[in-house]
Amino acid sequence: MRLAFKAVGHSFLGRTVLDGVSFTLAPAETVAIVGPSGCGKSTLLGIAAGLIEPLRGRVRREYARHAAVFQEPRLLPWRTARDNIAYGLELRGAGRRERHEVAARLARAVSLAAEDLDKYPVELSGGMRQRVAFARALAIDPEVVYFDEPFTALDVGLRRTLQDLVVDSARGRGFASLFVTHDLLEAVRIAHRVLVLAHRGGRIAGERAPPGLPGGRDERLVWETTERWRTEDALFAHVFDAEERDERRAA
Amino acid sequence: MGALGAALGALGRYLWSGWAGATGLFCVAAAWQAGHEAYGTFILPAPLDTLRALAGLAGSPAFHAVALDTALRALAGFAVAAGCGSLLGVVAGYSFSAIRVLQPILTLILGVPPIAWIVLALIWFGASGGTVVATIVIAAVPIAFAGAVEGVATRDRTLEAMAQAFGAGALRRFRTVVVPHLVAHLFPAWTTTLGTAFKVAVMAELLANAGGVGGALARARANLDVAEAMAWVVLVVAMLLAVEYGVLHPVRAALERWRDAGVPWGVKR
Repeated sequence: MRLAFKAVGHSFLGRTVLDGVSFTLAPAETVAIVGPSGCGKSTLLGIAAGLIEPLRGRVRREYARHAAVFQEPRLLPWRTARDNIAYGLELRGAGRRERHEVAARLARAVSLAAEDLDKYPVELSGGMRQRVAFARALAIDPEVVYFDEPFTALDVGLRRTLQDLVVDSARGRGFASLFVTHDLLEAVRIAHRVLVLAHRGGRIAGERAPPGLPGGRDERLVWETTERWRTEDALFAHVFDAEERDERRAA
Repeated sequence: MGALGAALGALGRYLWSGWAGATGLFCVAAAWQAGHEAYGTFILPAPLDTLRALAGLAGSPAFHAVALDTALRALAGFAVAAGCGSLLGVVAGYSFSAIRVLQPILTLILGVPPIAWIVLALIWFGASGGTVVATIVIAAVPIAFAGAVEGVATRDRTLEAMAQAFGAGALRRFRTVVVPHLVAHLFPAWTTTLGTAFKVAVMAELLANAGGVGGALARARANLDVAEAMAWVVLVVAMLLAVEYGVLHPVRAALERWRDAGVPWGVKR
């Protein structure tokens, strides 16, 4: 067990965003949290990552290091890609040589060109920035990684590539991850288990496990599972409705 | 080698940009010359005559002491004002209630004309360098303070949350996330603080009869030596320009090199 939530609840200015949330995260397990926008997904992740102190319940962490990847890359604009990747290492007091070595190695792992390491975030494309942000998370060799809708702003092809990157890294490095997303397809592709947050009330409405293991599911299985859940499973009805509303608004 | 090359390149670009600055200064000199030709030597001596007067002054033994006096007072006042103002501003920037409490105090301080402070400082410190420095500090602190408050208040909280998620404590967050952002707000404020320091220094010296360039200006006025008065003014402006473009701007350019990276290719600096 890496992380355990026990009856965690939180409110902002008296409005309940999370209530009685309990779950565990096993080592090397990827748990996706889906739910419509505004259901408290990000708050849940903030509590898990220690950014928000919950008002109720208990959070148990059994690991030494965690890292986070956010919806926006959140790179320090005054640092080159190399120094951004090494940021977590620097906080841990790693020397310059080690930082540069690790940055170079991880840049290769996330398919960043060596010459991009000397560029500042403004000089990188959106996808490359998110790669840097992911490399920054991997750099501290975390036992748990928190993802807060990291690929929402990217186009479909790039999203696929980076999802594969997450799945491969999680398998290769053995970190556990909590992955917040409102994209059910993404959740089915990358996760061992999918937790569904209710539209209102901040409770976990239910849990599903897609067949097979992340990385071992082919496109067809991912697609069919997603469609089946969407159309036949009442648990996902409200997520799907909310998503559809979003899409209609965007259109 | 690459870093050295980049630094040399930046230095070269900075020096080359001096031509543009020189253009501005020469435009001022041309307007000055035109004024001289329209109104005559007594009202407005020619720029060249002023420079000659300045060269004459520079030859006199007391000149260096006088110029050094004013420069040191202005720089001391600037250092204290920029240091205290920025420090207070950073502390206040983190607390909305502190901003609310300090804002009216600053308005009050800014509302009192510097001349009134000079009179008060004269009573407190007498006709000495202390009066000059104290007046500079009081006149210039609010500017640095406002810059620092603005810088801290507009910091990127999402970056702070990121740093916290990676285990950065409050001090580390301040150093790695807030300070680089703060610099962008502090330097313009410091430039204004510096300008204020020199202006107030000369004014305070003149009114407090505390020697320095202000004292020399008072003497030139008493002798109706307009060329000499102008020469002293030119000297103060030259000192200000030297500190601003010799120290403040290069430091800022070095700290903010990352901003250049975002400028699209072909944009003239």
